[in-house]
Amino acid sequence: MDDLLLLTRIAGRPAAFRAVDVRSIIELGTITPVPRAPDFVAGITALRSRALTVIDARRILGARGGRDSADDRSPVVDIAGHSYALLVDKVADVVAGVGALSPVGPTLGPRWSACAQGMIETAAGPAIVMDVPALITGPQKAAA
Amino acid sequence: MDDLLADFVAETREMLQAIEGEIVAWEADPADRERLDAIFRFVHTVKGNCGFFDFPRLEKLSHAAESALSEVRAGQRKASSGLVSGVLAVIDRIGDMVEAIDAGEPLPEGGDELLVAALEPNGEEPDSEALRSEGETGQRTARAASGTRSIRLPVELLDRMMVGVSDMVLARNELARRLREQGADPALEAPFERLSSILDSVREGATRMRMQRLEHLFGTLPRMVRDLSAELGKQVMIDLDGGDVELDREMIESVRDPLTHILRNAIDHGIEPPSERIAAGKREIGTITVSARRTGNRIVVAVSDDGRGIALDRLREKAVAAGILGQAEAAALGEEATLDLIFAPGFSTADAVSQVSGRGVGMDVVRANIERIGGSVTVSSKAGQGTIVYLYVPLTLSIVEGLTVRVGEHTLGLPRSYIVEIARSVSRAISVDRLGDGIFLTFRDQRVPCLDLAEVLDLDAPVDLERATFVFLRLVSGDLFALAVDRVLDNEDFVLKPLPPALEEIGLFGGTALLDDGQPILKLDVPALAERHGLAGPGRVRAKVEEPAQAPIQAQAQHIVVFEGFDGRRLGLRMQPIRHIHTVPVSAIERTGSAMLANVDGAILPLTGIDAVPQERETIIALRLSDGEAELLHAARAIVDTVELGEDVVPLDGDDALEGSVLVEGRIVGLVDTHRLFARHGRRAVTTRRPTCRIPAGDAWATGFLAPLLQGAGYDVLGDGDPRPADVAVVLDESAPGAAAGRILRLRSRPEPSNDAPDSIYRYDRDGLLSALAGTHAKGA
Repeated sequence: MDDLLLLTRIAGRPAAFRAVDVRSIIELGTITPVPRAPDFVAGITALRSRALTVIDARRILGARGGRDSADDRSPVVDIAGHSYALLVDKVADVVAGVGALSPVGPTLGPRWSACAQGMIETAAGPAIVMDVPALITGPQKAAA
Repeated sequence: MDDLLADFVAETREMLQAIEGEIVAWEADPADRERLDAIFRFVHTVKGNCGFFDFPRLEKLSHAAESALSEVRAGQRKASSGLVSGVLAVIDRIGDMVEAIDAGEPLPEGGDELLVAALEPNGEEPDSEALRSEGETGQRTARAASGTRSIRLPVELLDRMMVGVSDMVLARNELARRLREQGADPALEAPFERLSSILDSVREGATRMRMQRLEHLFGTLPRMVRDLSAELGKQVMIDLDGGDVELDREMIESVRDPLTHILRNAIDHGIEPPSERIAAGKREIGTITVSARRTGNRIVVAVSDDGRGIALDRLREKAVAAGILGQAEAAALGEEATLDLIFAPGFSTADAVSQVSGRGVGMDVVRANIERIGGSVTVSSKAGQGTIVYLYVPLTLSIVEGLTVRVGEHTLGLPRSYIVEIARSVSRAISVDRLGDGIFLTFRDQRVPCLDLAEVLDLDAPVDLERATFVFLRLVSGDLFALAVDRVLDNEDFVLKPLPPALEEIGLFGGTALLDDGQPILKLDVPALAERHGLAGPGRVRAKVEEPAQAPIQAQAQHIVVFEGFDGRRLGLRMQPIRHIHTVPVSAIERTGSAMLANVDGAILPLTGIDAVPQERETIIALRLSDGEAELLHAARAIVDTVELGEDVVPLDGDDALEGSVLVEGRIVGLVDTHRLFARHGRRAVTTRRPTCRIPAGDAWATGFLAPLLQGAGYDVLGDGDPRPADVAVVLDESAPGAAAGRILRLRSRPEPSNDAPDSIYRYDRDGLLSALAGTHAKGA
């Protein structure tokens, strides 16, 4: 796999996004909470002149408590015409994947395996490659 | 019509281009059925369009080709090479004529008969060479850049551009805000202003691209009315007005069905049969008028007929029979509320179900369709005289007029189309009752269920009902309910963006929008919210409550002047401080630093309500305000009306230039805070205290003859009961001066000087009087 990967940490674990999936990385400003929204939706925020939905990827993947780093950067992804900003622990680096994507076993746990495409080796160690559409709608799918 | 013609030319040209290839292929293989069909469709369409535009020659030609081709299609004739070249020559000729029509030139002369004859079944078949040359002499020259050129674009592309432009506007607003916050560098200000005005014109252009004249819709109506009235045995004339009004293309499509339905109703139920009309002393032929006009951001389409009108009693009976209302409730229903019944689901006023209307698809569907696009429908009717249905529709789909409200920490948007009233709980007109777990409001003799928005949104703390503001919302079904919110913030135009699935599933919100300050907000989905709480049921009726025993003491009615401000908003100004309404030429307006000044009647006054000298017009309207000491002007784009101010001025938190907002004829009007206006600009205002003159108020000559002269000389005239000190007092003949005054001016009734009062002036000595006044004034100053 020769794709470039955006390496992040989510819920304390390394998680990678294909660079082609990520539209941009933004500094998150104020997040306006949405009443009655599912708990993985942190709220909406303004990016330039449009509203983005902020998805708390940490919560989806089972993190508890607040964010442990002061990183305000957030990857923005586009799914089905909508833009989402993902809340992660931190945005680490852009690295090249080494070798092919290998399947993940059941030991990943239900939360992670629901939104993982597979495992990849990188120069910074192994990471889970995230399935972005599954991440955005993940918890609902899992519930259904 | 020009637009339609341009469309016809564009369409025909496009089709010609599209079948160019087909023609070549068909020529090579005349047996090719698919090609034959394509060419047949082309001539068929052209024929249909020509009939509409009255191009008899084009019609004859296309008709000839059409019948020849249909014979071939039916297998009655073979596509001989003569026929093929005949058809091709006709198509070439059509192309020439269309070019000529587009260029506004006379159609190429002659030769049609030859072409038509060539297509006759037994006609001589002239050799194709002759036909070809015939076609070529028909000036098939390139008329590339003549006339207005048009292109056809997919709507999707336009939409993408519109989104881009809307985003640019929002980005511009944000930039403007930041520039303001940081105290803009003058070096930045000028280019930013330029960018800003360019963007405005681009936006206007982009908006106009999506606009279409209503003519496109109106064009089909006369035919429809003709067919329908023939079918129903009625005689109806249709009168169309306002076809030049432009509307978003998609909006036109959304209005088409409701408008058709209303017209059907008017012909079927409204217009009487000729005999009945004559008996009623009306003209035999009924008239339906469809008129459109633009008001602000909306278009009003009115459909009026001079038919029998809606009989309110029958309407009530029907409603009772249909189980929508109880007998007693029906009897108590007011005129407006009764007319509103026609929008009740499943309600039809027709006695007999005719083929045309009254098939259960009623006005409720019309209202639902119009409200879906952010519009509204109202009806008014006079028995025996006719009915008018008004359709109000926004200019575009993606911009929704709305109100921002605050509850807890959340700011939410409410679309304007549902809001009928706003009231504060401190208003005496409203009483709040808690029954069970529910909240009920009694307001204007109606008991209205109320939802606590904080509860709806599952917030921690409920809205404090003692201090709440209630927003009354009317649903498509006619159901009225109220939302209790903490505060009403401001009027805004929302540029709506769709919600992602995760937020749509909540079922409470209808989209996101960014406010001017860049804050994202959610728009409440009012129907969904009502449905969720069981407030939107068919057959639900507003309970009527008894008239309270004593009417509240009426305060003296205040009036406001409603006008359209230069920021596009509808504003109101209290009548009291308004002295005069001027029309000021823009040449009399000056920008000095950050302030605007205008010269009216020789006085230089601060001009508020406008930021720049308007370029696009020659005059503006200026309301001249005075607090007794200072004067200033407030700019208006247009004066709308003068209305009585209700008691419910709802304070706004978002805009401190406004005292609050009031509803005027269903629209939110921001009331300009004159106190703040004068506090802000009054200091700069030139003091214009006029000298005062006291006259004996009881004297008819003094009030009738003298007062106008004094006023003309620049004095404020005081009666002798007025306690204010006067600069000068006028005393007639021998009477004693009234209250204290700076100086006394004695007038005598007789021309000859009086010994008793040597300094008196003959009362018709105008010059003497004026110079005495001037002397007084000069001494006083």
